[in-house]
Amino acid sequence: MNPSSRLRWLARACSIIGGLILTALMLMTCYSVVGRNFFEKALIGDFELTGIACGIAMAFFMPLCQLERGNIIVDFFTAKRSARFNHGLDRFGDLLMAVIFILLSWRSGVAALSAKENMGASMLLGFPDWIVLAGMSIPFALAAVIAIAQTLARFDQSSQGVA
Amino acid sequence: MTPVQLALLIFGLMLVLMVVRVPIAGAMFIAGTAGFVLQSGFSPFINFINNLAFARLANYDLSVIPLFILMGHFATQGGISKALFKFAAAVMGRFKGGLAMSAVLACAAFGAICGSSVATAATITGVALPEMKRHGYSGRLATGTLAAGGTLGILIPPSVPLVIYAILTEQNIAKMFAAAMLPGLIAMVGYMIAIAIYVRVVPGQAPDKEEVEKLTLESLMGIFPIAVIFIVVFGGIYAGFFTPTEGAAVGAASTFIAALIKGELTRASFIECFYATAMSSAMIFMIFMGADVMNAALARTQVPNQLAEMVVAMNLAPLLVVGGILLLYVVLGAVMDELSMLLLTIPIFFPIIMKLNFGMTPEYTAIWFGIMVLMTVGFGMLAPPVGLNVYVVNGMAKDVPLSESYKGITPFLISDTVRTLLLLFFPGISLFLVQYLT
Repeated sequence: MNPSSRLRWLARACSIIGGLILTALMLMTCYSVVGRNFFEKALIGDFELTGIACGIAMAFFMPLCQLERGNIIVDFFTAKRSARFNHGLDRFGDLLMAVIFILLSWRSGVAALSAKENMGASMLLGFPDWIVLAGMSIPFALAAVIAIAQTLARFDQSSQGVA
Repeated sequence: MTPVQLALLIFGLMLVLMVVRVPIAGAMFIAGTAGFVLQSGFSPFINFINNLAFARLANYDLSVIPLFILMGHFATQGGISKALFKFAAAVMGRFKGGLAMSAVLACAAFGAICGSSVATAATITGVALPEMKRHGYSGRLATGTLAAGGTLGILIPPSVPLVIYAILTEQNIAKMFAAAMLPGLIAMVGYMIAIAIYVRVVPGQAPDKEEVEKLTLESLMGIFPIAVIFIVVFGGIYAGFFTPTEGAAVGAASTFIAALIKGELTRASFIECFYATAMSSAMIFMIFMGADVMNAALARTQVPNQLAEMVVAMNLAPLLVVGGILLLYVVLGAVMDELSMLLLTIPIFFPIIMKLNFGMTPEYTAIWFGIMVLMTVGFGMLAPPVGLNVYVVNGMAKDVPLSESYKGITPFLISDTVRTLLLLFFPGISLFLVQYLT
């Protein structure tokens, strides 16, 4: 079975969330720039928020990239092989990506728990690190599920568009 | 196992995985994992992973990348390119091969608000390719021109690879951008000259006579939004109003507004911007994480350090070393994507370069080398067997064989080579603006 339409829906929803976070970040930065240069009102810790927001947004972008197999591959050596053969190789690649995303999700989750215990937070704003780490762990887990579903997906002529 | 054997094993495993279609980011990640675990064991490795995503993704310096990408996609979806190409055609149309030159001009202008070569190539191809076909340009010249023109997206600031180089080598992004401007313009002119020569030497590639569109006030307006955004972003950065990251945010917001005024940004295309931004940024950040694991494993073998010391101890002529590195990039660029290549090699090569004496300050050496690297990256986007830009443009053209597109690249690769040599021997060309702007 192909990654179900539910996974696609989730991956897209994640990238819209990520995109909205990035847009909010864009607006906040503009506000900060205008405030600082024209009204002498600096936004304290805006660069911290930028880093944090960017981090969460990037993690939320991962599931869609995995779903669409957007990570760059080298297809030069296998371009002449059959679609079925290459699909088999892609499933192997998906398996490795699944391992990587499981690792990332698991370890970010562990780091989130320990950050919560140690009250780790950003320097200026005191924004808790565990929220950021948990905000990464969840989309990584979704990316892992997608990669697993892709690994299990059988060859299907009609699925060629996804490659 | 000796350190050298281990380093070779890690590198070899990465290459094998890449050959069997494992994503490059994944190949680096897995090979690095194997090397790391073999040397230090499993629990140091998983502790290393704890902070990997946090350190790489939630990073103020790197946030400039998705913001510039978002800006580029607002520009792509915002309907700016059509009017831009009309303007370019009105300016360049009078020359033989004029429409191809117009495509180059449009790519250069679009590159001034877009930091990706693929996005630039795809955007301008969408508006320029049908026009070039209609006027009787050969598929070879049309696709070659557009693939080459796309590299202006990264040669002219903003530029994602240049940002990555600046971050890897701890250089000032604003200064790097300043250093890229003149070489970027030279690239544009160089491509136009290549077209002018090509259409005269090889007959049948371009029509003999083209109807010339007049340069009217209306067509002149095609460049207006881009010019305003460029001046706001880079004027703001160099006048000290904001940092490059903030400049990217301001640029994305102004491009968004420009697209709104154009009235072509619907809700669907707005969402499309998010999807496209998600895909390109996730791909880049995945490569970052993969390269981090790979570099951590390689650094543990000490081999990169020893390699650097060995090269410095050989006492070669500095320009020879740079030339050798650039040649290696051309070769590596044939099998790897340019970003992974930079992330894996800059930590090794940059210390070597900084130990050599080019008769410049260390900062200028670093900036100049970055521009040289950028030129080679552009080269790799075009050169066979895997020229990403050629693939993208060729895929959009549909009826042009890939071999024809690669033939069409030749004049531009020659132009690239001439420009790279020019900058290799005259660093002043790129450093000139750095002195004045920053």
